[in-house]
Amino acid sequence: MGAVTYPKEEVARFVDYNFIPVQIQVSNTALMQQYAVSWTPTILVLDADGKEHYRTVGFLSPEEFIAAFRVGKGRYFLDLEQFPEAVAMFDEVLQSPATANIAAEALFFRAVAQYKESHDPKPLRAAYETLKAQYPDTEWARRAEPYKLIPA
Amino acid sequence: MSLKICWLDELPKAQEAARKAQKPILLDFYNPQ
Repeated sequence: MGAVTYPKEEVARFVDYNFIPVQIQVSNTALMQQYAVSWTPTILVLDADGKEHYRTVGFLSPEEFIAAFRVGKGRYFLDLEQFPEAVAMFDEVLQSPATANIAAEALFFRAVAQYKESHDPKPLRAAYETLKAQYPDTEWARRAEPYKLIPA
Repeated sequence: MSLKICWLDELPKAQEAARKAQKPILLDFYNPQ
């Protein structure tokens, strides 16, 4: 990450705009244990209280990193019940380059945020249809399978 | 001069900054070797 992804200016700009970045070495065993980290790179999204909302393990290219941590920030907003902000972050993922699995995750949680905001289950059914049509081989398409029972 | 990520090196400092800026923290565990 330090050799390929972090030096990219678009990554630095994205991180600076969206996050407070902190790097901890693996020698900090107390924090490694606190967050149950056993491999690097492991990158977490935390709130100001230190509570975890998202994590990735392993190398991410610059493009994958930005897409993944847009999802991560969306998940943070979702957990904090800031639903419009969550939907906006997931929309950013869907409007930018992303792997099928990351785009599918954004679609899934966008529908969750819409449902939690409105209590209308139709976005979940719509997400199932879109995932099945556009990202049928992703885990998120399989996780949305029960939503096919929701009336369209 | 290109923009670089300004990493903090202590979680409590990041938490304080996150509270002030109302932003999430990006915590990267890394192996410098």
